Amino acid sequence: MYKKNIKIKLKRTLTPVFVSLGVLVIWEFIVSITNYPEYLLPRPIVIFSALIANFNSLLYHTGITLFEAMVGFVIANILAFFIAVIFTHSKTIEAGFHPFVIALQTTPIIAMAPLLVLWFGSDIGSKIAAAALVSFFPTIVNGVKGLETIDEEALDLFKSFSATRRQIFAKLRLPNSLPFFFQALKTSAALSVIGAIVGEFVGANRGIGYIILTSTYHMETVKMFTAIIMSAVAGMLFFGIVSIIEKKIVFWQKF
Amino acid sequence: MKTIISLKNVEKYFNSLHALKNITFDVNEGEFVSIIGPSGCGKTTLLKIIGGLTNFSKGSVTIESGSVESALQGRKFGFVFQKPVLLPWRNVLENIQLPLEILDRRNASEIPSKLLKIVGLEKFENFYPNELSGGMQQRVSIARALSFGPSILLMDEPFGSLDEITRDRLNLELLRIWREESSTISSITFVTHSVPESVFMSDKVIVLSARPGAVQQIVDIDLPRPRTSEIKYSKKYLELVQCIRKILK
Repeated sequence: MYKKNIKIKLKRTLTPVFVSLGVLVIWEFIVSITNYPEYLLPRPIVIFSALIANFNSLLYHTGITLFEAMVGFVIANILAFFIAVIFTHSKTIEAGFHPFVIALQTTPIIAMAPLLVLWFGSDIGSKIAAAALVSFFPTIVNGVKGLETIDEEALDLFKSFSATRRQIFAKLRLPNSLPFFFQALKTSAALSVIGAIVGEFVGANRGIGYIILTSTYHMETVKMFTAIIMSAVAGMLFFGIVSIIEKKIVFWQKF
Repeated sequence: MKTIISLKNVEKYFNSLHALKNITFDVNEGEFVSIIGPSGCGKTTLLKIIGGLTNFSKGSVTIESGSVESALQGRKFGFVFQKPVLLPWRNVLENIQLPLEILDRRNASEIPSKLLKIVGLEKFENFYPNELSGGMQQRVSIARALSFGPSILLMDEPFGSLDEITRDRLNLELLRIWREESSTISSITFVTHSVPESVFMSDKVIVLSARPGAVQQIVDIDLPRPRTSEIKYSKKYLELVQCIRKILK
């Protein structure tokens, strides 16, 4: 039984590895036999060696972007948590601000980014703001849902102890909402990286978005590919960190 | 005999739906009273009215000659629901401690471990609800209901979702727990949809009719206590089961 489990796990991890390797090999093969121009589609080996050669510089720029994303993420989610709590306590406030929340959410971040640069300057401030703006909404929406989705019988149980509203909040609503919050945090972790990169597109002199943009101007497609890879790594890394924390805190949930 | 729960002409409407009609009965000190009836007859609503979780439209409910509200404030009710409603982020011990925390009686730390022994889960105190079987979960919820020393136990089909073997065992255990020396429970009001269970457990069975729920008959169960499984083969027991089945038809 135990051995079988290991086998299944191994299969699950190895299958995607083999598939990706296969794709890379086919890509390499097709590009080299067709002599496709490098500025359009470089070969994986070329990208990979460029990645290693420029690793320190790439790491620096990725670090900047990840920093902007994380700071924005933290600010936005602390704010979103408190707003979600206020919304669940007062239906009137929620009703009043709900259209505003929806309007902000549906406005594309790319449309807002120039304004953010105007307000927060062209340094990391505007990127943090962009990251915060996109990672804000999933937490509000899911947070309100989590705080309000309470089992009727659990509420009856607390009422039978004559529990106060504050006790019901601290001992029932809050822990009950954690799985919902973490679901949102995973989404907003990935989104915050996007927000930071979009912020960098509008005006920056460092960060992974800046590298992508400048390499386009200079037709440095290989460099662009390495930057794209790093941005993907940054997003996955952040998502992974949040997932690990989730498993520790929301341990009762089956994943 | 002291009257613990007294209902007089209780009516309940949900908007235009007449849910409970002219309900009158008493639960006395030391009594085990079952409420039985077809599904949707308002058994659960009736129990919630007694425990102050739902209001009623007309009539009167008195608990130990006071109001339901003051009994609720005085933490006289221990509730056991059909689902165990354990908090999944708390282990067995912490779940039993929950009411004590809410009542701010955290220093009463010897009570939960004593209760664990009484419900036979002393080896499982660090387990989480999702690691326990349905029967074990319901035992935890009984221990939780007893932890703060209420005098009135209200149970809403507590063993309804369990298999028959587990249910029979928990029935006997509930009667034993009730009779424990340390037990603070003076009466149990028990909602069920099982006729044999109601006869086996009770001193009195209140048979409700379907919509609107009204008391059809109150059947006295004069079987000797303590009850043992052997009683189920006695003529008297079988007669009582048959009698209630006939009323329900």
